[in-house]
Amino acid sequence: MQNLKVIAQGARYRGGNPMWSWLLHRVTGVGMVLFVVAHITASFLTQRFGSGAGMAINAVYESPAFQLVMYFCVIYHALNGLRVIILDIRPSLMRFQRETLWLQWLTFVPIYALAVLLILLRAASGE
Amino acid sequence: MIKVHLKIKRFNPEKDKKPWWGEYDVEVEPTDRVLDAIHEVKWNIDGTLALRRSCAHGVCGSDAMRINGRNRLACHRLIRDEIQNGQITIEPLLGLRVIKDLIVDMEPFFAHYRSIMPYLVNDTDPGPRERLQSPEDRARFDDTTKCILCAACTTSCPSFWARGEYVGPAAIVQAHRFIFDSRDQGAAERLEVLGDSNGVWRCRTVFNCTEACPRGIEVTKAIGEVKQAIATGKVR
Repeated sequence: MQNLKVIAQGARYRGGNPMWSWLLHRVTGVGMVLFVVAHITASFLTQRFGSGAGMAINAVYESPAFQLVMYFCVIYHALNGLRVIILDIRPSLMRFQRETLWLQWLTFVPIYALAVLLILLRAASGE
Repeated sequence: MIKVHLKIKRFNPEKDKKPWWGEYDVEVEPTDRVLDAIHEVKWNIDGTLALRRSCAHGVCGSDAMRINGRNRLACHRLIRDEIQNGQITIEPLLGLRVIKDLIVDMEPFFAHYRSIMPYLVNDTDPGPRERLQSPEDRARFDDTTKCILCAACTTSCPSFWARGEYVGPAAIVQAHRFIFDSRDQGAAERLEVLGDSNGVWRCRTVFNCTEACPRGIEVTKAIGEVKQAIATGKVR
């Protein structure tokens, strides 16, 4: 509930790019937690009961669309987390925080583009 | 003179069930301050509008409010810099209880301020003269001496919105000012306060505080330095 309250307040406050990067960090974090919960639930249902529900959940998160979203979440969350860790370790770099955001996106784009390419090629090949 | 449409969030808990938007048209110079436009409303249109201001020159920090969605001092921002399509939107600070209109309850903010002992701690005898300090030692905490306790930083912080018990950026800035002062001997006590669960570790390095500070203090950097002082135990 607190997360929702903060996100609602954040949406009303115009903090600019640094705040949006933090909000996206939260949202992608929640996305990854949901994925892990779905994955564990699917494995449990399939292995314990041989349930069709487990296979249905599997089919959702193995779909290309879900993988595109998931890769976005993981890569963004990892790079933004790394950026914040570096800034926390070296506070003197904080005056360049806007530049670090650009650097983060410059790193993100080729990595995510490669992931997108591989996911789409795999989907096209029908594997 | 230009015409400005002011949209001000109003709320009187004695009369209103929920906040409402007061809309006023005023004529001001582009080089007037947002505070002048609010004065125009207060003095000539609707005297019930409540706001805080004292020096009106960016020194006392009384008139912090959300102007077009961002924390700003109304006496610090010019109409020409804030006007958007002929309109300026003004709201009270987030995260503190609204007493009336643009006035929020600052007591929780000042309680956090007091908790970090915002005064010089040194029981040794200074001798017949003042305590001397080198220019380099003075420069170490120069940035954080500029704080005017307007609360723009603390009330722009998502961690503070989520948890009012968090001491907040302004209190940490004030602590930084003394922790890194070579004449002070209270760093260990302050770092203990700031190292607990409602201290510096609630900072998520969002930078809203740095963006909001009307004095241009590098607030997030100061918080980062306090985090390092706690982690390493080194303050000099």
